[in-house]
Amino acid sequence: MNGTTINITVDGTTLENVPVWIQPGQTQGSIGLALGYGRTEAGKVGNNVGVNANELLAPAVNYAEATVVASEVEHGFASVQLAHTMMGRKIVNEINLPTFLSGNAKEWNEKPTFESYKGPLSSFEANLWDDQDHETSHMWNMSIDLNSCTGCGACVVACSLENNVPVVGKDEVRRHRDMHWLRIDRYYSSDMTNEVAEEEGVGAIEKYAKMEVPSESPSVVFQPVMCQHCNHAPCETVCPVGATVHSREGLNHMAYNRCIGTRYCANNCPYKVRRFNWFNYQVNDKFTDVNPSQDDYGRMVLNPDVTVRARGVIEKCSLCIQRIQMGKLEAKKDGRQLTDGEFTTACAQACGSGAIVFGDVNNPKSEVSHLKQEERAYHLLEEVGTQPSIFYQTKVRNRA
Amino acid sequence: MGHTKHNPIVRALFNDDDIVLDAVKDLRSNGFSVNEVYSPFPIHGLDEAMGLKRTRLSTAAFFYGLVGLFFASWLTYYTMIVDWPQNIGGKPNAYWFVNMPSFVPIMFELTVFFAAHLMCWSYFAVNGLYPGAKAQNPDPRTTDDHFLMEVELEGDEAALTAKLQELGALEISKLEE
Amino acid sequence: MHYESPVRNPLILGDKSYSDITNDIAKPVESKAPRSWWIAFSIAFVMFLWGVGCILYTIGTGIGVWGLNKTIDWAWDITNFVWWVGIGHAGTLISAVLLLFRQKWRMAINRSAEAMTIFSVIQAGLFPLIHMGRIWMAYWVMPIPNQYGTLWVNFNSPLLWDVFAISTYLTVSTVFWYVGLIPDFAMIRDRAINPIQKHIYKLLSFGWGGKAKHWQRFEEVSLVLAGLATPLVLSVHTIVSMDFATSVIPGWHTTIFPPYFVAGAIFSGFAMVQTLLLIVRKIFKMEDYINIEHIEMMNIVIMVTGSIVGVAYITELFIAWYSGVEYEQYAFLNRATGPYWWAYWAMMSCNVFSPQFMWSKKLRTNLVFTFIISIVVNIGMWFERFVIIVTSLHRDYLPSSWSMFSPTFVDIGIFIGTIGFFFVLFLLYARTFPVIAQAELKTILKSSGENFKKHHDEHGAH
Repeated sequence: MNGTTINITVDGTTLENVPVWIQPGQTQGSIGLALGYGRTEAGKVGNNVGVNANELLAPAVNYAEATVVASEVEHGFASVQLAHTMMGRKIVNEINLPTFLSGNAKEWNEKPTFESYKGPLSSFEANLWDDQDHETSHMWNMSIDLNSCTGCGACVVACSLENNVPVVGKDEVRRHRDMHWLRIDRYYSSDMTNEVAEEEGVGAIEKYAKMEVPSESPSVVFQPVMCQHCNHAPCETVCPVGATVHSREGLNHMAYNRCIGTRYCANNCPYKVRRFNWFNYQVNDKFTDVNPSQDDYGRMVLNPDVTVRARGVIEKCSLCIQRIQMGKLEAKKDGRQLTDGEFTTACAQACGSGAIVFGDVNNPKSEVSHLKQEERAYHLLEEVGTQPSIFYQTKVRNRA
Repeated sequence: MGHTKHNPIVRALFNDDDIVLDAVKDLRSNGFSVNEVYSPFPIHGLDEAMGLKRTRLSTAAFFYGLVGLFFASWLTYYTMIVDWPQNIGGKPNAYWFVNMPSFVPIMFELTVFFAAHLMCWSYFAVNGLYPGAKAQNPDPRTTDDHFLMEVELEGDEAALTAKLQELGALEISKLEE
Repeated sequence: MHYESPVRNPLILGDKSYSDITNDIAKPVESKAPRSWWIAFSIAFVMFLWGVGCILYTIGTGIGVWGLNKTIDWAWDITNFVWWVGIGHAGTLISAVLLLFRQKWRMAINRSAEAMTIFSVIQAGLFPLIHMGRIWMAYWVMPIPNQYGTLWVNFNSPLLWDVFAISTYLTVSTVFWYVGLIPDFAMIRDRAINPIQKHIYKLLSFGWGGKAKHWQRFEEVSLVLAGLATPLVLSVHTIVSMDFATSVIPGWHTTIFPPYFVAGAIFSGFAMVQTLLLIVRKIFKMEDYINIEHIEMMNIVIMVTGSIVGVAYITELFIAWYSGVEYEQYAFLNRATGPYWWAYWAMMSCNVFSPQFMWSKKLRTNLVFTFIISIVVNIGMWFERFVIIVTSLHRDYLPSSWSMFSPTFVDIGIFIGTIGFFFVLFLLYARTFPVIAQAELKTILKSSGENFKKHHDEHGAH
């Protein structure tokens, strides 16, 4: 993703080739330039990132005249997300407070139904076959409350550290090859919606083209997305060697040592949560500056409970299976049942607002099983029929 | 089938397929045994004229195909249902029959594979064909545009020779036993 | 007994005898290669070596040297796989299906068409191997007992169905081709003077002698193989189409793919046969055997299958609208008007519009036009697979993962390498194998040879 740069001149001092990021919601005619970048003594991660805005400041001056001129230099931005609106799709279910209080969840949280000779069926009922048993032992589920999520990113950091997710560097991110198991999708609202298009009689091509453009003053939603551990996983069926299968406890397993890297599973995932190891990040010198696991000192950062994946295999969120297994073993050693909250995933643990709740939905006392009964609960892309184990809580906005 | 007869063989060379075919019909109706005809291409109606029985290779292919189908069914049954059934995409695997639609491509391909390959091995075996085998045709012209007929000689050689010449043979020779 | 209606055009032109056929077809094998052959071979060989280098680089460094990313995990690799497999299907159709329909015009072309099939499927088979992240474990797709449990393969996976389908297709096509080749190798063996040549063809001809019983078995085996290969053509490309049809991605998940892909495969395969044979007949002076009648018949097949493909495209658009599924509708609007609109319109113009010219007799019997259209069709069919794979993946359900793809020099280099490898194989074949099934062709000389037909028409059939 490429962008333009500008030259900013204040009182004779010019900052050259300042990269310009067009931010929806930024007031027209204004620029925001953060202090603290452009460092030269900050070490590998901080050096030469951005520009040093301090150069434009004169001491004890609150305002000054500045000139902004477009520069010819292009800047290569690295962004993990390139499309910014929901395109009229029900991805983040969002309603206003009065709607929520009106009490008709069947309308504001409509679940997809499928017509059949037995009448309308839900996505979980519309089945060609009898499902496998997920009621006997644990059934791990996760609730993500879109109201509490502020998009801070702590969960992403925690997940990457817990699971030895490779850092790939700016060049690879620009090629859209980040390795994040958990990502936070951020969507801006658009002025064009399906309702507006119908009212104004806008044709489909124009409608979709306009839907790609965020509003001038948009509202924003954040949605953490990780492997949904689908009970009818599209990825599992297509792996030729059976490297990804379903566990009795509802987890989608990824057997790295069986994976031969055909990437069919990644293609078939509608949530696009699977990540492929494109290079040998531990050895390839392209990554020496960014990946810690290239020398013994850097390798001390790694979590010894989690495998470091080889080149050519797929990886994805495992719902911190290492923690689940540890928890189960500890309980087994003690000869007792597992209690809710005894262990949790790294993302749930790091979340400051308690948006992410992990637990056993077969345990009637668990927090997650109560959350599953909430009228705000819904599944992402439920109409695809994947039967995910992760569910979200509808975002309720405090406005009329 | 071993021939207990040790009749000498008379070879006659022709240069036209229609003439050979008529010759075979004529000779056989006069009681001669036409043992073999070497030709550069299959002559339509020749096997009937020579009294050759239908080949059973196609029947064999059918049974080989059934072997393939059975093998594929057993393979998918044993690996996916009995030995290590796994929960793959939630698909049922309690019985082979419920998972069988997924296995149809495998079953079809293995049926064709077994039918085709086993039939071809059988074909090579019964024809005595293998890499480096000695050429079965005594006259190399029979892969170009000539036809060689082998007739069993029972009785007067000169009469047979005359008959063959009358029927259009260009060269006649006798193979001693 | 050798009667053919005077309405049918002769399939063998000129005043030919059986021995003329033998000589004409043995000539390229027995003589030195013309200079044009050496030039073509050198170019193809260099392309092949470049491709080998790119493949080794990929295997040594990682799939990251290609242009793929977290959203678009397949692009040129699988496009090329399907393109090559599709091209292969015409050879089998000519050998098998046309045999079952008793179309005598297949005899002059089936040998080279089958060769094209085998060499195409070899190219195709490279891609499932090299696209793997860990190719050194490729044998894990075989259900072989092992010490991991035994850990078996996943028979539910379309990719695994591909393994069985492509292996069956490659081996059965090769066997079908070889069985037919044996009498022709025997012909060369019996004429060979050079001792090395004699020994090689003695090895290759398996001792064939043309005995009556053997010919009877030959014809039976050919018919059965044809009967087996026909559903094989249909099933193999159906299974390849299932790689997409059984997925959930909008633009992939559609039941029209099996017949659409099979028709498209025949379409592109016949186009490639035209490209190759127009060159072969000219260089080896076989215009009497591969004549305008053959060219025209193949053009008609191209026109029909191209029309089927066109109807399939329109059906997809209609169903996208009629279904009311927003993801499906967006997928097709995006194809036509989004960032890859140029690929979509290349596909439409090359595949839908160009074969319609074949309605004109003048154009479908014109050699230059045929040659150009045959290349246009294959370009269009490459774009069809590219459009299906890349445009469906690059913008699927969640806009947060939308991305763009562009190939690296390695993607392009491997593709060029397979084209080089294909021509290396085909050029070697053209010099060492009899390129026309001469034994078969002799069976129709008296009914379909120009001189014989003229005689029949003047003096009445006998």
